[in-house]
Amino acid sequence: MILDSKHINSAFDEDLDRLLTQLMTMGGLVENAIRESSRALINLDTELAESVIKDDHRIDLIQEDIDMAAVNCIALRQPQARDLRMIIAVMRISNALERCADHAKNTAKRTSAIVEAPPLTETIASLGRFSKLVQALIKDSLDCFIQADESKARDVIARDHEIDQIHSGLFREYLTYMLEKPSIITSTMHLMFIAKNIERISDHATAIAEQAVYMMTGHLPEDERPKNDDAAYVASADQD
Amino acid sequence: MEISRISQADVQNGAIKIAARDVCVYYAEEQALYNVSLDIQDTMVTALIGPSGCGKSTFIRCLNRMNDTIETCRVEGTIELDGVDIHGRNIDPVQLRARVGMVFQKPNPFPKSIYDNVAYGPRIHGLADTREELDGIVQLSLEKAALWEEVKDRLHAPGTGLSGGQQQRLCIARAISTRPELLLMDEPCSALDPIATSQIEELIGQLRESFSVVIVTHSMQQAARVSQKTAFFHLGSLVEVNETEAIFTNPQDERTESYITGRIG
Repeated sequence: MILDSKHINSAFDEDLDRLLTQLMTMGGLVENAIRESSRALINLDTELAESVIKDDHRIDLIQEDIDMAAVNCIALRQPQARDLRMIIAVMRISNALERCADHAKNTAKRTSAIVEAPPLTETIASLGRFSKLVQALIKDSLDCFIQADESKARDVIARDHEIDQIHSGLFREYLTYMLEKPSIITSTMHLMFIAKNIERISDHATAIAEQAVYMMTGHLPEDERPKNDDAAYVASADQD
Repeated sequence: MEISRISQADVQNGAIKIAARDVCVYYAEEQALYNVSLDIQDTMVTALIGPSGCGKSTFIRCLNRMNDTIETCRVEGTIELDGVDIHGRNIDPVQLRARVGMVFQKPNPFPKSIYDNVAYGPRIHGLADTREELDGIVQLSLEKAALWEEVKDRLHAPGTGLSGGQQQRLCIARAISTRPELLLMDEPCSALDPIATSQIEELIGQLRESFSVVIVTHSMQQAARVSQKTAFFHLGSLVEVNETEAIFTNPQDERTESYITGRIG
């Protein structure tokens, strides 16, 4: 586990415990926001989308609390070695989580626009499946950190590759639908942006897993991931 | 831990000032140090850290043969200063201590004037031929110890009349007056307030330009602030030595990790 042995100064342990509890609370809220934003989209539920948008503020506040608690811990306890790396990792992870929540909020905002002119059902369904994969990735990234499980962290990092491939695939799929039926271009464009949001959440999951490796080993893992997301280049490739 | 044999090239390049190999120290039957091998690099501050009784002070006292003064103490292994064994037949311990100066935990000025405290070493080692030369050495030493401006108008006042921080800087001036090549500091700030501590730490940074410094400290923050290399001792053994930055962010040995994160005392 992440806190494996006790400090002589027990108040330091309490500080670290509190910091990790805050991070896990934030993680839970962010996982929830991603899940609910996806559910709101699939069910075209504007009310649920609105609540995701509203709850984002709470996540921002927790992130501020974590930042403050981490700074206090550094100032008052002068942490060293693994303790120091853990606190730095917590700060970075809370930052990544806050960005994930922003992406969920963005998805929710677009949902309200999509409800006005719904796209094809199958395009939304594939986005729902994509979101589920990324939700699992975020959960695993937080688990690997809190369990101090290096092999799980490296597995999360490797899985980003698959997410990038699916994102490219979705991009092509949506292009095809739009070419076939120009009336759904507006709503499908929103879906494309949502797909990008979800893909960015996966990047943050990778960053969280990298922080877990840093916390455990003192080194960030080397970037060996092949880049498979060629969505940005698809249009020009298709013109050839 | 594997430390290669002393390379003559390193000694000649001046990279290694002191090379200690397999140093064992016994106080009567009690073994205090177990096969410590450590290089002290030139123009660098090396910090020795570890819990009380871990052998760091015993080790530092070996480097200028201060342990010779303890009758029951026996030192084994080799310690070379610039490639020459300090226990060699031709080595005079008094001369050695002029080359390897020492500053202690509590400021211990002689019951003499400020001037005489600093002039003591140069006088007994015959470093000055004239009064002017001696005055020059005293002034330079006090300047290097960042004390000159505070005492230049009362050089003949007793050294014991200075504040704790000033007394410690006086002891540093005394230690550097014989132009040592290596300065050993055994918890030099433990009796000082934070301001005096900062002044001594600033001084250590400046002294490093002219000497190698080895500092024993109980304050890990101090080790982190002043040193470039840190060695961790535990139960009489050298556990780990590395760049200070690496020791405090990513130590390799679990015992070092436990000590610096406050899990073992």
